[in-house]
Amino acid sequence: MSKKFTDLLTVAWGVVQDAVHRKVFYAVLAFTVILIFLVPMLPSAEVGVQLDLAREASLGLVSIMAFILATVMGSTILSGEMRKRTIYNTLSRPVSRKGYFIGKYLGILAVLAVSLIVAYLVILALVGVKFGVFSPGLVKAVFAIFLEAAVLAAVAMLASVHLSPVVCILITGLFYVVCHVKGDFLYRTMTDSGHPAVLRGMAGLAYYLLPNLERLNINETVAHGERVFRVGAVEFLLLLGLAATFVVIFLVLGAFILERKDL
Amino acid sequence: METVLSIEDLHKSYPSRWGRPPLVALRGLDLEVPRGSVVGLLGPNGAGKTTTLKAVMGLVRPDSGRIRLLGLEVSDPRARARVGFLPEQPYYELYMTPRKLLHYYGRLSGMSRESIAARTAHLLSLVGLEEAADLPVEKFSKGMLQRVGLAQALLNEPELLILDEPSTGLDPLGKIEVRNLLESFRRSGVTVLLSSHQLSEIEEICDRVAIISEGRNVASGALEELLRSRDEFLVSLASPPREGTEPRLPPAAAWTGDRGGVVVPRQSLEAVLRALLDAGLAVERVGPRRMSLEEFFLERVGREGGG
Repeated sequence: MSKKFTDLLTVAWGVVQDAVHRKVFYAVLAFTVILIFLVPMLPSAEVGVQLDLAREASLGLVSIMAFILATVMGSTILSGEMRKRTIYNTLSRPVSRKGYFIGKYLGILAVLAVSLIVAYLVILALVGVKFGVFSPGLVKAVFAIFLEAAVLAAVAMLASVHLSPVVCILITGLFYVVCHVKGDFLYRTMTDSGHPAVLRGMAGLAYYLLPNLERLNINETVAHGERVFRVGAVEFLLLLGLAATFVVIFLVLGAFILERKDL
Repeated sequence: METVLSIEDLHKSYPSRWGRPPLVALRGLDLEVPRGSVVGLLGPNGAGKTTTLKAVMGLVRPDSGRIRLLGLEVSDPRARARVGFLPEQPYYELYMTPRKLLHYYGRLSGMSRESIAARTAHLLSLVGLEEAADLPVEKFSKGMLQRVGLAQALLNEPELLILDEPSTGLDPLGKIEVRNLLESFRRSGVTVLLSSHQLSEIEEICDRVAIISEGRNVASGALEELLRSRDEFLVSLASPPREGTEPRLPPAAAWTGDRGGVVVPRQSLEAVLRALLDAGLAVERVGPRRMSLEEFFLERVGREGGG
């Protein structure tokens, strides 16, 4: 195994260990699991749609959990190491800053993956026990949630190279909102001649530069058994391509900035 | 003598906000660290010591100048693989234990699990942390944290050990422990570059010093050579004169505290020797006076600071 690859794994494993020792990680996970168990208590319109609603609400909760974990970890891990100066001990080793940055990111992905697997198993158990239905297809939605969280974590990490954790969380939140409404709101703002040119220009820039995260939201489709639209392998490859493209862009930018930063 | 670290004309400034002028930390610093030496880096607060060490470790990017570390560019990870670094007031994740920390840093240094385990046992015993090897560092005193820091710096059997203020924040006992460790490194032939405010520590441990003031190296060389005054001599007497029989000396000359010798400026040496011999006093030795490091430091930094 090459030294660079070992470095990535070592740094990533450090992030996992760090998460295991953080109470906030367990709090978010436990809170999500409790809320998922409370989902069947929601008032449902008709008995026939209870299952779909339970699945959709549960996936919604998992999306929120992934958003919180990705944003908080992405915003605090690197900036925390810089603030506490533990980064000196690591970067004075024969480790490249690029490798360190990507290793941290991979660690966040590992924590997200474990959390989402736990949440997925909880939903499977809940749906199985409450409705007597086995819904392995939900994994598609959970995977799309993972892809979205991967993009958010990359944004948060990019921001955290220079900004404080609070500002990073705000920026990532704003990014999340803008990227979810872009398909509709930004397009209308961009094309409405009634708006000032500067606003239209900014909306146009955001529309073309930012990813459309709404594409990664397949919770409703999957929760309703893909009766209207089936998410096949091609769609998944496209979603994976979308997420991977933006993750690579944000990571390359973040590593580039970190490489030039005085610590 | 082979040089393990050479710094040439290093400049570094940090940008300021709100249109203020940049903060200049280094203004053409030169420094050489010969192999096998223990070099003390001295300077007042803000002189540029920490910036220098960070630049050597690749943690800050100099504006200009050149650093060669073990014959390689600083950016080359192979250079850092042969260096140990103890940052000022090292900090660790509180849940980590010394053993886990050393394992983590060992892996990043490219060491095998077996060699990390063997080295960890040796180092924890060297720094006196065997009993605390599996305790989380949140329970550690500053002295213990500093010893963990020294252990991690020594993990990869470095050819050059760089220590930034290793005694900062330690109580007298902790300072003695660190000093003893440094003494043992010196005996084992490791090259050490040590930044410190503690003049006594530097004087006791280092064989070379470099004094940095306002981002420049204002004096550097072998400690004994630097402290040997070129302008003043110490005339040692075989025995001090009896009370009331001291000869009259030129005003620039002064008796030492025990009256066993006279400190004389170069231009008065002949007159003083004549006066002592005329008074029947036996002169045992005449040699350049050795300044204390504190005197030397104040003279150099004061001179620079005063423009």
